[in-house]
Amino acid sequence: MKASTEDLITARHLAFVGRVTASLSHEIKNTLAIIGESSGLMGDLLDYTAPPAEWAPYPRLKTLLTTIAEQVERSVVILKRLNRFAHSMDEQLVALDLNDLLMEITNLAQRFARLREVGLETRLCSESLKMRSDPFRIQQAVFHFIEVSLKFSPKNTTITVASRRDKGAAQVIITDEAPPRAGWLKKLISTPQLTLAETEEQSDPDLAVLGLIVAKLGWSIEAEDLHPQGNRVIVTFPLENG
Amino acid sequence: MLKMEKFAILLVDDKEEFVSALSNRLLLHGMEVHTATKGEDALAMLQEKATDVVVLDVVMPGMGGLETLRRIKETYPHIQVILLTGHASTKEGIEGMRLGAFDYLMKPVDIEELIAKMKASIKAIAKE
Repeated sequence: MKASTEDLITARHLAFVGRVTASLSHEIKNTLAIIGESSGLMGDLLDYTAPPAEWAPYPRLKTLLTTIAEQVERSVVILKRLNRFAHSMDEQLVALDLNDLLMEITNLAQRFARLREVGLETRLCSESLKMRSDPFRIQQAVFHFIEVSLKFSPKNTTITVASRRDKGAAQVIITDEAPPRAGWLKKLISTPQLTLAETEEQSDPDLAVLGLIVAKLGWSIEAEDLHPQGNRVIVTFPLENG
Repeated sequence: MLKMEKFAILLVDDKEEFVSALSNRLLLHGMEVHTATKGEDALAMLQEKATDVVVLDVVMPGMGGLETLRRIKETYPHIQVILLTGHASTKEGIEGMRLGAFDYLMKPVDIEELIAKMKASIKAIAKE
């Protein structure tokens, strides 16, 4: 498929955002390393110079240093996610494992789910799903589907992101426990230009753009209602050896 | 609690605060520690100070970590090098090992892990 000028410009925009974001995440990580080492040094100095039994603030200081260490560790995990997400914008066609991408994007969506008090789980197949595709677009697609599910899911229900191999293709299956909306989803995806122009409450520009992406990259989407309540969206990606 | 056999370490990283904190921790662990904040300075220091292990940041302005590693290995093949990388990617670490680094660690480093790696690197060179 030959890329249009518009596609190339968009790709360069994304690569720029990705490069700057990755660089910033690297800088923050260096700062965290300094915080981590400095608090570690404080802990070592305490152990060396303060007789714990005779110095009242010792246990509190040790607890505070442990908190700093834990938060540094947590921040590093978040930064790694940010860094990987930023690098997903580097190139539009790379060898990737779909399961790795799904794990990453689900991790990124966890906070949104937590804020809506909805559970978000993965059930990824054990085999690797290697393919050559656009990592950013795949993450964008899956994230939007999760977002739509979150929008309609009642509290304390669960959204599941699963994967499987289906003959020569890989599938992502997003299931929720929200009121049925398969008909609306199908309409929205099949007529993206229309929905982009619409301003009704139900129209979703992100999902409409997604319809355009899906059509362009040759993926297919099915949506079905579940009984007694719920929805299942299946996105199928052509699979090849990456 | 922290005393161990004395290694001579050269810690190379352009972030001075990081070098200062980590070198002080290694000193407390009973090691002999020298520091440099540039690849060029590290090479000069190796001429003056007996060194067992170089702990080397990959991303530095001027002479980067991988180029510094290449030059260290050219002149001092017996000195072990452990790389520190701040990237989530392992690309630089793998490239470093191809150039002769003993191993690589992601920043922020776990001090116990770093010390274990240094011990392992010394053991490995002793076997050769």
